[in-house]
Amino acid sequence: MNPASTSLWDKIEYSTLGTTIAESTWMFPTLETIHVICLVSVLGTIFVVDLRMLGWTSNKFAVTLAAKDTLPWTWGAFVGAAITGGLLWVSKASDYMHNPYFLLKMATMALAGLNMMYFHFMTWRTVEHWDKDATMPVAVKVAAALSIILWLGVVFFGRAIGFTLGIFGS
Amino acid sequence: MDDLLFQITEWLRTTRLSDVAFWAGDTALSNWIVTHFWTTAILQVIHILAISAAWGSILMVTLRLFGKAGTDRTIAETERRYIRWIWCSLVVLILSGIGLILSDAIRNLLNAIFWIKMILVVGAIVTSAWFHGRVMHRLAAGGTVTAGIKAGSLAIMVLWAVIMLCGRWIAYAPT
Repeated sequence: MNPASTSLWDKIEYSTLGTTIAESTWMFPTLETIHVICLVSVLGTIFVVDLRMLGWTSNKFAVTLAAKDTLPWTWGAFVGAAITGGLLWVSKASDYMHNPYFLLKMATMALAGLNMMYFHFMTWRTVEHWDKDATMPVAVKVAAALSIILWLGVVFFGRAIGFTLGIFGS
Repeated sequence: MDDLLFQITEWLRTTRLSDVAFWAGDTALSNWIVTHFWTTAILQVIHILAISAAWGSILMVTLRLFGKAGTDRTIAETERRYIRWIWCSLVVLILSGIGLILSDAIRNLLNAIFWIKMILVVGAIVTSAWFHGRVMHRLAAGGTVTAGIKAGSLAIMVLWAVIMLCGRWIAYAPT
């Protein structure tokens, strides 16, 4: 521990919680495992709806059905991923905040969130008109394509962190 | 547990597997993967996406069996909807998995946790194929969802979760 470090990220990393996770032989890999199970649940359920919105799957069935079936699980899994992700982050906060791939991952998730909010508050307002159509309006397809691309980015940047930790200093 | 895993790994080193591991590490494909930095990360991304498709599909089928989602379709229709995704994902998992093995052949093959994962993967494939063949056909013919069928569906999900755990822990195996 560096007695001279006073940055917020160092304080978090060297907190009791941070050091407990970092010094344990099993906590970090276990949190990672739960993080993975949550994130594949998020991706799997999101892609069910995104593929429907592109008109590639289940296009004899309403979009609202696909969304209703999956969204509670998407949100639940996301909360799990966020909690485990937060705990992972605490254990190496300083390293992560200096890692461009971690910052890109957060930015990409924010963009995915914005995409989702725009779709939900704007595009979704007319859903009764196109809900059961085989071919979706352009705005719907764009939202779905962006969602897939952005979440692919989140996964890639997330993995890239593991390959570049420590390179950028802390 | 650590000691047992360490001893299994030590034993693996004394078998012919050592020769196979060193041979695999010397192949052109392995060398190409090792010398192209982002290849392993990209293979992992592909592996994760295939897991998402397979796990998401299994989750949706299980939710349907419990009546929690997709009740607008019959169980047979639900299973037919997702089964192709599951089998195609398995092919992608195996292909990307081979690439991942070769990215660090010696560490991955001379590793107790890797082989535990492989045994569980074979078990999960066999169990899933049996579940699909026997149970789902019985349900399609008009049978009811019993507690045993629900339990079996959950057990398959737990098995795949343990496989994911093993996958993450390969890198942390005691050596």
